[in-house]
Amino acid sequence: MVCKVARSKLFQYMDGELPEEQACALESHLAACPDCRRLAELERSFSERYVEPLRPAPTPQRVRDQVTRFLDALPDRRPAAQRLPAFLRARLLAGLALFVLGTLLGVGLGKLLGHGGERPWNRPETSLLRLADSSVERHQKLARGILPYDIQRVAPKAAEQWFKGRLNFNVSLPELTGDDLVLLGGRISNLEDLEVAALHYRVEGKDVSLFIIPLEKYKTLGLGDSPKFKMVNRQGYDVVVWASHGAAYSLVSEIGGRSCLVCHSREEKLDLPPGSRVHDKL
Amino acid sequence: MDEKTEFQELCLTHLDSFSNYALMLSRSASEAEDLLQETFLRAFRSFGSFKHDLNFKVWVFKIMKNAQIDRGRRLRVRPAEDEWRGDDGQGQDLAKEVLLYPVPLNPEETLLRRITLEEVREAIRGLPHVLREVVELREIEGLSYQEIAGVLGKPVGTIMSRLYRGRNLIRSLLQEAPSADALKSRSAYGL
Repeated sequence: MVCKVARSKLFQYMDGELPEEQACALESHLAACPDCRRLAELERSFSERYVEPLRPAPTPQRVRDQVTRFLDALPDRRPAAQRLPAFLRARLLAGLALFVLGTLLGVGLGKLLGHGGERPWNRPETSLLRLADSSVERHQKLARGILPYDIQRVAPKAAEQWFKGRLNFNVSLPELTGDDLVLLGGRISNLEDLEVAALHYRVEGKDVSLFIIPLEKYKTLGLGDSPKFKMVNRQGYDVVVWASHGAAYSLVSEIGGRSCLVCHSREEKLDLPPGSRVHDKL
Repeated sequence: MDEKTEFQELCLTHLDSFSNYALMLSRSASEAEDLLQETFLRAFRSFGSFKHDLNFKVWVFKIMKNAQIDRGRRLRVRPAEDEWRGDDGQGQDLAKEVLLYPVPLNPEETLLRRITLEEVREAIRGLPHVLREVVELREIEGLSYQEIAGVLGKPVGTIMSRLYRGRNLIRSLLQEAPSADALKSRSAYGL
């Protein structure tokens, strides 16, 4: 083996990735060639001093906490099909047969068993709050400019066009109906595990975020149709959630019902929940 | 231990590695957090197919890479590879590099400078994306060539080539006057 070939194999050799035969040939060369042996020793010293101590940078505590919460919220059972041992498969099949029988008899087995195996998102009492919390978290990032736009300063129709083909559901945006309403930008984002279109508006000088959710995913949250507009206040933000025209929406702002100007004209009559004050300021 | 608990423990054990790789693949810290969550969700859904004799970290890296590719496809972001012509020998960078680094650069000058680990990290961060990805997966994460090839979906030969170039560029970046030193290094070895 000549020096040039030996040196070109040095990294592979030190990584333990050189085939045995070539490694033996290289070792023979190093034993016989002081220049190459010195280079190999220097490489080893370099690696020991500067490469081996390298470790991934520690995850910031905030991100670690966020990930921990996210992992805790995962369902107890994986949603996807799982290969089970034969005896468990037999039990599962028996359970399925029972469920089908129960459904045929008009008795939902799930009703009898409660919500034990469901994903947390599926419980109406928690899914609205979780959707709202997630919307608020994304709204804050959009408003602070730490979640970059994929598109910005475009007309609603151009934004619709941009989302078309990138998301597997239709994004339909209302026309802007006043000088004090501006579409600042949009991006594809996530509300927990839901992929959504995120739009950032400025209404009367205030930040408003609109998240558009595919209807079939929204339906899995079990929120129901009544009241049509579900309003909660989370961390000081007003969050309005509703479904309409083949999609679902989550609207976040600090300006209560005035944020609804993103979608509705001031004259439009709305189906409000009893006692709701969300549209009072319209 | 149930499946969810096992999955959680594995994710948190390797969280530093996962968050670093997510940051490397993303345009911002927020996007990295999105990618991290999407990756964990995908991984959890497929956890039943994970073979426990395999490396969990490698398995998740691969899922993350695919998630990022899918996202880039949706956004029609040009992949980083398009900006690098080093693998096919058609780009000027490769021609220049081959001229400068036919063999590994002499590490002696870098050793003599007594550089800090932070300088090494900075040099790695200064690499072109495709080289940095391979160098980090090898030098920081300790993956084998075969494992890196599996994560990136590239042949092992491409990984070796990128690693070789990346390492030499790091040495070059760590030296005070790269081009002069590189030439000196070449002459010292009679090249």
